[in-house]
Order: sequence, then structure tokens, then C-alpha cells
Amino acid sequence: MKHMIVCLLALTATAWAEEAALAPKIDALLFAKVAKPAQADDAEFLRRVWLDFDGGIPSAEEARAFLADKTPDKRAKLINKLIAAPRFAVRAADAFNVMLMERRGENEAWKAWLVECFKTNKPWDAMVREMLAPEFLNEQQRGAGYFITRRLEKVGQQDTDYPGLTRDVGRMFMGIDLQCCQCHRHLSVNDYKQIDFSGLYTVYQNLKLQPADDKHKTPWISEGLVTAKYEFASVLTSKKAQTAPRIPFGEEVMIPVSTGDDGWLVKPDRKTKEVGQPKFSPLHEIAQRVPAPENALFAKNIANRVWFLFIGKGIVEPLDLHHTENPPAHPALLDLLAKELTTHRFDLRWLIREIAQTQAYQQSGAHQRHLTAEQQLRAFIIATGERERLEKNTKPDVKVDALKYSLTEFEKAFAAALANPAKEPELAANPSLRSALFFRNSDHVQWALKPRAGNLIDHLAKQTDPAEELYLTLLTRLPDAEEKTALNNWLAKDSSNKSQALTDYAWALLSSTEFFVNH
Amino acid sequence: MNPLCTPRDHTFSRRAFLGGGLGLLTSPLFAEAMKQRDKQVLFVWLDGGMSQLETWDPKPNTEFGGPFRSIPTSVPGVHFCELMPKLAKQMHKLCVVRSMCTKDNAHSSGVDRIQRGDPKNRGVPYPHFGAGVAKLLGPGSSGLPPYVWIKPGSGGFRAEDAGFLGPKYGSLAFGDGKPPDNLLRHPDISAEQDAARNELRQMLDQRFAKQREKRVVEANASVFDMANKLMARADIFDTSKLPERDRDRYGRHDFGQHMLVARQMLEAGVRFVKVTSYGWDTHGDNFNAHATMVPKFDQAFSAMLEDLEASGLLKTTLVICLSEFGRTPRINGHVGRDHWSEAWSIAMAGHGVKHGMVVGETNERGTEVKSKPFDIGSAFHTWYRALGIDPMKTEFDNAGQPLPIAHDDMLPIKEALA
Repeated sequence: MKHMIVCLLALTATAWAEEAALAPKIDALLFAKVAKPAQADDAEFLRRVWLDFDGGIPSAEEARAFLADKTPDKRAKLINKLIAAPRFAVRAADAFNVMLMERRGENEAWKAWLVECFKTNKPWDAMVREMLAPEFLNEQQRGAGYFITRRLEKVGQQDTDYPGLTRDVGRMFMGIDLQCCQCHRHLSVNDYKQIDFSGLYTVYQNLKLQPADDKHKTPWISEGLVTAKYEFASVLTSKKAQTAPRIPFGEEVMIPVSTGDDGWLVKPDRKTKEVGQPKFSPLHEIAQRVPAPENALFAKNIANRVWFLFIGKGIVEPLDLHHTENPPAHPALLDLLAKELTTHRFDLRWLIREIAQTQAYQQSGAHQRHLTAEQQLRAFIIATGERERLEKNTKPDVKVDALKYSLTEFEKAFAAALANPAKEPELAANPSLRSALFFRNSDHVQWALKPRAGNLIDHLAKQTDPAEELYLTLLTRLPDAEEKTALNNWLAKDSSNKSQALTDYAWALLSSTEFFVNH
Repeated sequence: MNPLCTPRDHTFSRRAFLGGGLGLLTSPLFAEAMKQRDKQVLFVWLDGGMSQLETWDPKPNTEFGGPFRSIPTSVPGVHFCELMPKLAKQMHKLCVVRSMCTKDNAHSSGVDRIQRGDPKNRGVPYPHFGAGVAKLLGPGSSGLPPYVWIKPGSGGFRAEDAGFLGPKYGSLAFGDGKPPDNLLRHPDISAEQDAARNELRQMLDQRFAKQREKRVVEANASVFDMANKLMARADIFDTSKLPERDRDRYGRHDFGQHMLVARQMLEAGVRFVKVTSYGWDTHGDNFNAHATMVPKFDQAFSAMLEDLEASGLLKTTLVICLSEFGRTPRINGHVGRDHWSEAWSIAMAGHGVKHGMVVGETNERGTEVKSKPFDIGSAFHTWYRALGIDPMKTEFDNAGQPLPIAHDDMLPIKEALA
């Protein structure tokens, strides 16, 4: 026994020793044949890493300190500092919430679960097991159930969207969109067969959404009895086939032989309103088989998705269309990431830290993308110097200027104006008419830019030469000579109302593209 | 101080681009192009299911005819229910199809089914007609959002209408006829300040574009541009400034006022305007309900037809009026009529359709279509054709997969096409 522990420790130690090794391996693969790209300067790197790890932007002070720092490994140090900060868990939870739920609405228990997962660095396979077979009676885990329960909610008089849930399990955890295989083989993707959809569908169509009750604090799901294979037929050929529960491209799960009643662990009973619990749970079987090292697509999918989140482009795109005829842009890179992530037991924080250390991540100007609604909100309230006031204010009062808004209200307004519509993969936060009108005319934006004790405009108005402070605070960089002149000319135009002129200039910078994008 | 052009310069440059002189304006090619650009649609949706028997297809003195009489219209031989005296005088502008026979008589699925044209199931949600038109014809020369929806209740940006075409083609909904949030200039900002800081914003963006990927800046510029165009026409969204006389003519009720806003939007050049009226689901007390609601509809819809004709817009605007289905001829125990998709009517007017025309007929009791029945797919074929779009030659693109714009196996209602 002792021997075994030593062995395990030795294994872990080797794994740790290898840890720092992934970043150079990635760069070696990427830049073996092409020239290394120009690296981002400190300011560009700082803003990027801050938006990615904190979700907001650094203050002018923090920016100054970093730019002045002469330590050679200051970038690695900053990455480590940000990844260890409590904000990282919140930012990662935000990103995964958008990715997994696709703007289906907010849920506190779910959000708390996600934050906790990233705080404790729960391995991705464990997270997926908890999402796919939620323990609703376990307080620490029940939030994970929202992935399924939200998708089983009925909308109007429409049928419960079991096919949608089935599709999303494939999309989110294996990177395959099997939607078309609900009725026939996929017409443009040879790898995807109707049995791949049906093998999952038989599991999920067997669930029932149950309302919260004395025992369950959240809505929960019950599972029916499965005693036979699921039959399906192609609408194209009318050919019939059947399948047991099965993960796509995998083996069928054996359905135990049972004669009705003996299949139940807890028998359903109408009188006591017991919905019953079967001995054989396809839900649990699939929840074990999807997040497994043997399921190659499981690791590839998450490696690709994390790469996308931090680099801005997937190695396979669309993110949910892994198949042989849609090969990765860089197959060796995806293999490397997937393999090492599996070796590292699906440790996402490790993978993220490694990616951030690469020259690929730190190159200049690459893969610009618009900030998500969450990033824009945080960047905006930090830039305008209203973050603390909003966070502290729990009782908004429209009559008192300083108490007019709370953070919650800002969150809602920014999401309504900037988030993509629900049930669409949010690959890029595209600017829309709605977002433009929000920045131009909304009271939230006007309010934050009014001079108020301690905020941006108040602070700038007290400075004789506000250009440097303005550019550092809003854009994390110093202005060049031309920009300084432009600002001074603008301020000189109407010297009687300096704070008004500053407000307008700050507004123009805040609604300009440079503020919206990840540098 | 501003190195960029002002919005006014843009108007001039656009004219220069379009015109280049009178010669081009009068050339047949250009005239054809303008005709194409200016086609518009008014889509009136009576949610819940208007009764065809109390409106377009009365059956007085029959078993299921109900208490109302029928009255002659401006087209000899064609009768409407007496609840529509004003529209009766305008029948010569209308094209009524009395032989609709569709498939779904449940609201939840029916509303969607009809508005999406009930195509063959391709596993993806189809766009509503308005989103389809927005996609195929674009915003046109006005530059205003191509698909606007005026409705009671809440407003905003409705992406779901667009189905697989993507949120870009969804509707801009005016809840209670009011513009969506943030459409109007903030009261604390003067027009001058607004213009000045927007110019500044543009200048900063152009500087940034020089160093970075252009397309990112362009995407932003285009939405701020559309915001400009929309805000510049804030007058058309301001219901408080509607002329008093028109407010009376259209009727001082939701539907009347919403139709008036719709007229302003059509006049301003919005490509597709949808107006919804709710509450037509008369399972109980059908006759009193219709006696209250139909005259309001009659008033507003006929005022609209008059105005569109007077302004010449009826020549280029296709007008469509329908529900998700009609109502049962049989009168139920609550003196109501239930859902009936077997035999009902839609009305059209304006561009591309025949005027003073009745297509098809129902049997004497109004229970079934006696002539050739038409499903909603045929109506979609008809409407697209009326707008000059050939559904046999035009396809939607669903991420690389070509999909028909209207039901593949159906044909237009030829009798209705001009």
C-alpha cells in the first residue's frame, strides 16, 4: 500500500515537472515552418491578459506599475497572479456559462457551481459528470443540474425539447452537432449517423423535469425504466434500426434483462407521488462514458474550446463540427493539447496558464475580437470609475444621483444591449444596432460619465494635462503626440466647460472600436 | 478640427453615386432598379384568428351564418359582412382569397407555422415572411431597418423571427407602438453635442482602423451608421406628434394608432412593416366580440388603403392581412366559434396582386372550400411573386445548404397575381 502511494506521488511529481513544458511545445509546433510573429508590447499584453483572466481592464495605476516593471519574467508573474485571484473563477464561470448555456437566462445555483468549480480547479471531466448526471440532493452539486433542467423546460405549448438537449450534449462535450441525424443520416457529414443521435436521444427522452419540492431545492429530473432498445427509422429510406443507450461512435450500453417491477430500485407510487428510480440508469452510464479518456473527442472538444476562448479562433471550426472531412487547421496541435490535457487529468487551469505563456497567445494584434457583454460591462465600470459605487449599492434609489444604479441593474442592461440572442453559439460578440443605440442614448452610459466624486470625469477634470491618465485608464496605453494634441484641441474649443468636454471625449473613446476589442 | 466628412457630405456623395446626372436617372435600367428598391410590404396580423364569416366571407341566413347581414361592396356581386362598411367601399382595391385551407388549428404552433410559410421540415426554424423579405430585398434606399413590427405589449429586437437566416434579419419591434429602448437621443444631450461627439468617435475609429484589422472597425461603424439613420428619422416613431385628424380617421384605439405609425414608416421607406392586433380568439361570445373589434379593424385598414392610394404607395406596396386560421362555422355552447383551418380567408391589396378580385369560394354553410383549396405555402409563393421574387429560382442559404424560400411542392395562387 505504502509502495503504491510512493508510486503515485512519483507519477504526480513527473506530471508536475512536465507542467511548464506545454507552452514551448505549442510554439515549436506552430512556428516550426513559419516565422515567429511579432510579440505584443507590454501594454497590449497587459490589456489582453487582464480581459481574459479578470474579465476587466487594469487601472491606470496598475498599468503604470506593470509598464515600469523591469523584471524579465514579469509576464509569467502577472499570469500567475491573475489566475490565482478570485476574479479568475468568476471570469471563467462567465465564459463557460455563455458557452454552455448560450444565453438561456441566468441561474444562481448554476453560476455558484461554476464559480466554485473554477475556484477549486475541479477537473473538466468531473464537471461534465456532474452536469450529465446531476446529484440534486447534494448541495455542492445541484447547480450543475441546470444544464439539463433548463433545456427540459417547456416553452409555451411546445413539446419538451428532448432533441435539443440531445444535440447540445453532443455539441458541448464532444464537439459534434448531430441535429440533422434526428431524422436521417447527416447529408453533408459522412461521420455522423442517425444511430449516433438516437443512442443519446434514448437516454434524454427518458427524463422528466420535476418541480422543486420539500426534498429538492431546485427543479430536478427523474428517469424512466428502460427495458428495450430504442427503435428509429430514417425518413429518407424508411429503414428501421435500433440502439441501446450509446455515446456517439461508441459501444452500446447493455440493457439489463428485467421484467417490469424488478427493474426499479424505488418503485413509482401514485399515492405517495413517488416518481420512482430505476436500477439501470442510462443517464449515469452516459455521464461516465462521455467524459472518459477513451472518448477521444471529449478531450479534443474541450482543448479546442479553451484554445478558442483564449486565442480567439478554434483549431476546428465550427467548434461543434469535428469530423474527418473537417480536419483541424493544425492537427498536431490539437492532438498535443488533447493528449496533454488528458495526461493532466483535464486540469483546465493548467491548460489555460500554459496557453497564456505561448508566443501564439502573446503575439501582437492577432485575432482581435469584440468583448463579451460581461467583459464590456466590467471594463466600462472600471474605466468610468464607477465599479465600487455600483458594487456597494444594494438599494438603488432613482432620486439620489449616486444611488441611482446597482451592479445588478448594470449587468442586466449590458446583457440586454450587448449579449447575442439566446440559443446561438456566442462565437463573436457582434456589434448590433441595439448595442450602438445603447452606447449612444442609454441612461446607464450617460450616468456613468457624469462627473461624480471619485469617478473618471471628476478625476480627469482636476488634472492640467489629462491625456495620459485618460488613455491609460480607458485603453491601457499612453497616447501618442497626435492624440495628445487632438485632446487638447478638443478641450480648448470650449474651455468654460471642461468636464463636459472631457465627458464627450471619454464617451467617444469608450464607444470606439479600440475599447470594444480584445487587443 | 475634424478631418472627416460630415453626415451632410455623405448625402451628397450618395446622390453622386446614385445619380451621376439626370441621364442615368431616366435610363430604363435605373428606373427598373428603383422599382425594385421601392417595393414594400404591409403585413397585418390578426392574432388569435379572425372569423371569416363575420368579415370577408359572410354566410347570412344559413345554419352557421350568425346574426349579421351581408352588404354589397364596390365590386358588383361581392358581399362583405355588415361589420365592414368602410372596407366594402374599397373592395375594388382588394384581392380576397376565400379558399384558404391550412394544416394546423392550434395557436402555439399555428402562428409560427403560418408566419413561416409551413415549408417542408428541414430540421431548422424557417424565417417569418418579414425576415425573408428583409433578407431577399434588404433595407432599400431608406437605409432604415428592413423589418419593423408594431405590436401591443413589449418591444425590442426579436431575433427568433429570423430562424436560420440569423438574428440580423429579425424584427425591430415597437411595443405599444413605441420605439425600442435607447432609440431616441438622451434628454441630457443636445443635438449639437450628440453630433460633435459622434464625429469625434468616427475620427478615433478611423485612426484605429489604420493600425488594425479594418473589418472590426467596419462592423462597428455600420451599426453606428444605422443608428444615425434611425435617429435622424425619430419623427416617424413619435406617436405624440401624429396629426389629430389622422388619429381620428384611423381610430383612437391601439390598432388604429399602430396602423398610423405603420403608415409613417411605410412613407419613410421601411421595407417591411408588420402590425399585430391581439385578441381575436373568440371561443366565447364571438358575435359581440366581432361587433366590437371588426369595426375598429374596418376603420383603420380602410383609412390605410385610402392613404396609400392617395400617396401612390399602394402601387409599390404589397398589403397582406391574415390570421393563423379562421373560425369554425359551427357555433359552440358559449356562443363562440373555435379554430378552423379548413376554410378561411386572407385579404391582399396593392403591388403585384389583382384588384377587385375574389379568389375561390367556400360551400353554402361555409364549412369547406368548394373550389381549389390553397395552403399557406401557396400564399408565400404568391407574395414572393408579387414582390418580383421567383421562388423557383431563389433560395435561402442555410450555412451552405440551399433551402427553398417557399414550400417546394406548392404553387402560387395564379388567380390572385396581377
